[in-house]
Amino acid sequence: MIADLLTTVLVLAGLAFFAAGTLGLLRFPDVYTRLHALTKADNLGLGLVVLGLMLQAEGPAMIFKLALIWVLVLAAGATAAHMVAQRTWTHGEFERRE
Amino acid sequence: MNAALLTFDFVLLAGLLGVAWRCLASTDLFRAVVLFITFGLLLAIAWVRLEAPDIALAEAAIGAGITGALLLVTLERLKHIMNRPRTDTDHDPAPPPDPVASDADAPGAAPTGDAASRAADAGNAALSCAPAPARGRWITLVVTVGLAGLLMATLATQEHDPGLQPTVAEHMDVSGVDHGITAVLLNFRSWDTLLELAMVLLAGLGAWSLGRHDALPARPTPGPVLPGAVRLLLPVAIVTGVYLLWAGSHAPGGAFQAGAVLGAAGILVSLARPHELPDPDPRLLRIGVTAGALLFLAIGLWGLFAGPALLTWPSELAYPLILIIETGATLSIALTLVALFIGGRSPREDT
Repeated sequence: MIADLLTTVLVLAGLAFFAAGTLGLLRFPDVYTRLHALTKADNLGLGLVVLGLMLQAEGPAMIFKLALIWVLVLAAGATAAHMVAQRTWTHGEFERRE
Repeated sequence: MNAALLTFDFVLLAGLLGVAWRCLASTDLFRAVVLFITFGLLLAIAWVRLEAPDIALAEAAIGAGITGALLLVTLERLKHIMNRPRTDTDHDPAPPPDPVASDADAPGAAPTGDAASRAADAGNAALSCAPAPARGRWITLVVTVGLAGLLMATLATQEHDPGLQPTVAEHMDVSGVDHGITAVLLNFRSWDTLLELAMVLLAGLGAWSLGRHDALPARPTPGPVLPGAVRLLLPVAIVTGVYLLWAGSHAPGGAFQAGAVLGAAGILVSLARPHELPDPDPRLLRIGVTAGALLFLAIGLWGLFAGPALLTWPSELAYPLILIIETGATLSIALTLVALFIGGRSPREDT
């Protein structure tokens, strides 16, 4: 019962971080601030969601898999953010072609 | 709970239709490719909701991941080709643009001069296709609405039919594996899987027969981050691929998903450090690319002479045979996907 309640709170908090990150992606003016909003908020949001789901996991294997997912997304997200930022730094921002 | 799931399904459906529409209507090909990848990921979630995790895995790995990478690299090469000056002696391809020294919209290989810049403009125009003329739209709309109505009518009148599920469940004990999908793919309907492997092989041979590959048009971003991430991700990807192959006998997974994950790892390596990669031995590469289809065919023929019939295996030998076939198929699929990404034969083979 307490675990269920904690899961709900954690997942909802995680979703709030996702929403904030998405809002930043849509509203912030340039690539760097958007990357900042997206990667920071989403990594923390996913961490909270994963933590909430861990409380519902059936065994240690499931908990380990969930933790692994979070670590992998952290690594992939940080690398992708670095590459986008590096590319923008050396080449300038993509122009919109409308 | 049910209402929440129903809402989720409708949001998912609306998202799928919206992304598909934006993808088709986009005049910018790069945006269309990104939307296509998004569409694939949403479609994978839709397969999960339809309780088909095998197809969801395949869709996410092949449909969204590998196909997206192939489309992106094709677009990059296409830009490079279109921007190349047209000369009579077009046998000497210009070197790939060096993005460090040039701007994104003015690649280093882009020629100077009037005619050349016009050619480049034409090339860029061809890459962003114009929207379709308006006169066919009403006919398209009528046909679409009519087709959708027919589909809905068919779905509404169709009785609930379990299909071949009971038949498969009845014969699981002779299949050699514990997972229904794998039993169908590699025992009951192995013919289809053999043809799929042959298709993968044909795609690879087609790409090779078009010629040698140039260097990849894009160079990786400098710095230690990407090689470090690859060092971290590569072992995890290999373990995941082998796990998916192994899990296929009793849980969702199998050769195609495992091959896609391993192929993605190969693509990551070829993108991250193209200079340090030596070309593989051409003979070994050819053996690896054809191993899946040939092993499958050989074991199937053995079944014709020593077992019950063509492409069938005696039930006591089914498990090891399926494992051998799946291992060969995984190797071939992974190698072919990387070869398709690199595009064309290795230059060393012609010397």
